[in-house]
Amino acid sequence: MFSTLAPHLVNGLALGLLFALLALGFMLIIGLMETINLAHGSFFALGAYVALTMAAPPLAPEALGGYAGWPIAVRYALALIVAPVVVGVSGMVLELALRRTYGKDPLYGLLLTFGAALVIEEAIRLTWGSQERVLPLPPMLQGPVPFGDVFFAKYRFYAAGAAALAIVLLWLLIERTSIGARIKAGAYDSELVRALGINLPRLRLLVFALGIALAAFAGIVMAPIWGIRPQVGVDAVVPAFLIIVLGGVGSFWGAVLAGLLVGIVVGLTGAFAGDWAIVSMYILFIAVVTFRARGLFGRKSVLDV
Amino acid sequence: MSEETRSNPGRRRLLKLTALSAATTGLYGVAPFFGPWQHHHAWAQTAQNKPIVIGLTMDASGQYAASGQMERLGAMMAIREFNEKGGVLGRPIEAIHIDTETTPATGSRVAERMVTRNEAAFLVGAVHSGVANAISQVAQKRGVIFLNTNSSSPTEAGANCHRTKFVWDGNGANFSAAIIKNAIRVSGKNWVLLTNDYVWGHDTSKATRALVEANGGRIIGEVLVPQNTRDFTSYLLRVQQMKPDVVAAAIGGDDQKAMRQQVIQAKLHQNIAWINNQQDWPDVYGLGAEEIFGVFGTTWYWRLDLPGVKEFVAKYQKVYPGVAIRVPGNVYYNGYMATRELLNAVEKAGTTNNIAVIKVLENLKVSAKDRMQNYDAYMNPTTHQMQQTIYMASFNDKPAEKDDIYKILSAVPPAEVEDKAALTACKLESYADTPVYEP
Repeated sequence: MFSTLAPHLVNGLALGLLFALLALGFMLIIGLMETINLAHGSFFALGAYVALTMAAPPLAPEALGGYAGWPIAVRYALALIVAPVVVGVSGMVLELALRRTYGKDPLYGLLLTFGAALVIEEAIRLTWGSQERVLPLPPMLQGPVPFGDVFFAKYRFYAAGAAALAIVLLWLLIERTSIGARIKAGAYDSELVRALGINLPRLRLLVFALGIALAAFAGIVMAPIWGIRPQVGVDAVVPAFLIIVLGGVGSFWGAVLAGLLVGIVVGLTGAFAGDWAIVSMYILFIAVVTFRARGLFGRKSVLDV
Repeated sequence: MSEETRSNPGRRRLLKLTALSAATTGLYGVAPFFGPWQHHHAWAQTAQNKPIVIGLTMDASGQYAASGQMERLGAMMAIREFNEKGGVLGRPIEAIHIDTETTPATGSRVAERMVTRNEAAFLVGAVHSGVANAISQVAQKRGVIFLNTNSSSPTEAGANCHRTKFVWDGNGANFSAAIIKNAIRVSGKNWVLLTNDYVWGHDTSKATRALVEANGGRIIGEVLVPQNTRDFTSYLLRVQQMKPDVVAAAIGGDDQKAMRQQVIQAKLHQNIAWINNQQDWPDVYGLGAEEIFGVFGTTWYWRLDLPGVKEFVAKYQKVYPGVAIRVPGNVYYNGYMATRELLNAVEKAGTTNNIAVIKVLENLKVSAKDRMQNYDAYMNPTTHQMQQTIYMASFNDKPAEKDDIYKILSAVPPAEVEDKAALTACKLESYADTPVYEP
């Protein structure tokens, strides 16, 4: 029995880390800025497309110093680092536009980010087309890994490892650096932080860009699993939102644990009741919020880390 | 061509989550008022030059967006050719398109709207069998002829057949019949079914199960996969635990692309034989060599060595120079053939009267040359399904040119792959019970 269950539990944990990664940037922006960024999924997709362009550039072999001929491992590594930065910077534009909505009815921010999501998705369609695309991977990330009598894709463990690394690094940033301290302080009492001479608008800009960069990073990591197409962002933003609410809005570890919980539930139902796999996360969500409306670790902000 | 777009279902779900659905209903999805007609007799007789409107009920979003786009190009090519000849019955042909979103409820709503608001004379297009079934119910209620171009659930020409519906693609039973006997002999007796959890997947699996068992094979398990699945790991782990010789996959659209990539990542194609019941060209175009594993069925290939094929391909490339898919495939072909034969039938009937056109289509016979297939094709008057050549194919490891990715293994004549179950399952409405419609 355990040998039958074991691969599915491992798969569920890996999936859970990926779900947590998906929600990380979303959680950061809600936690500090109390803005529901409905364009999160679109930046997720944009990250995958920018990485695709860097990993498989539509360039002549001799262009840009022969960049297209560089080893795929180098191009992929560059894409993994540079694409989130590029997308994060583009996310700053949205934050600048969002400033006019701060302190107003949350619907303004919601509608603005929803509009931005539509614009980004259409821009992707115009730039890269509607066809499904494939992100090329270095050979070292491809191939099977035996686990008992079954095989996993090696990439799955790499993706789960990348997600775990991102989670730990973000936690360290918030908990162990002075920037993190300022972020938390800003979330707790923005007026006091401003009075202390900290440039709060710049801090918000930084946090928003970081949240967007995390969405883009998740898009790159998930691309070989979910594929790349303009509307992939919708597939990302719904579970991200669900995980944030399930874990408790603003709670770092709540999001991580909710991601793991959703991953295990989806992984197990996928294996043993496949037709329930997608709906299972919604059933779990309903079950939890019915008894605990603020989610598993529902508190106000990232201060509660 | 006029075009109307709608918001996609994902967004509406999202808006519901954020309690904005009421507001956005006003912005995006105001339901039109239809009816309450009880009888749908002829509209006012048309003026001589009034355009014949063809409603293209094709997906532009969702699981079958890519296929929806290709069948639309095929239908538009046929319409273009007829318009260049002066139209049909002296009337120009106009096409309208509304996204059916790979969603049955949307298909139903779009069909209603096209008939009642746009006065569509005919409805053309479907890839998802649930959508096709929904459209065909509206079409039958109104008496409008509907061409199911590309959805291939056996029920479409079986239990869900209608007098006004004509099915142009091969179905799951046809493809299974073409492949299973040989696959059991070559690959083994223990089969697992990997099934998309909707009507086409279920019906195709049912047909596969019956044929496997009839040929001495054994179904040792079935794994259901919800639509819009992107991560197949759970399902593929479960399949491995069942230790099959053969996996018969009935997974369609973008889901299938994701599945193929993940099978390759775990190298599961190396120790298990894979059969994909039907391979639609947009789902495989652009995939890497290794990802096109296994054996699969199709109704047409762009490098068939038959008269007219080269010209057909050249015309596609000339008329649609910017399309990412550089050569036409089976989905485009079905969209084109269905529309062309419909317009031929109208011309032959000398009227747009639905009953007259239905009778012409029921007696349709198309030579192999005109179909650009190996064998003559004909419309089965009992089921309204086009009986045609079925091709078995695999990846071509010795391509003659770019995009030559299929190796055609065999061409099976229609009589050998006939869906016999459909003959008894299909109960067409009588002519008298079909509302007269003459746009």
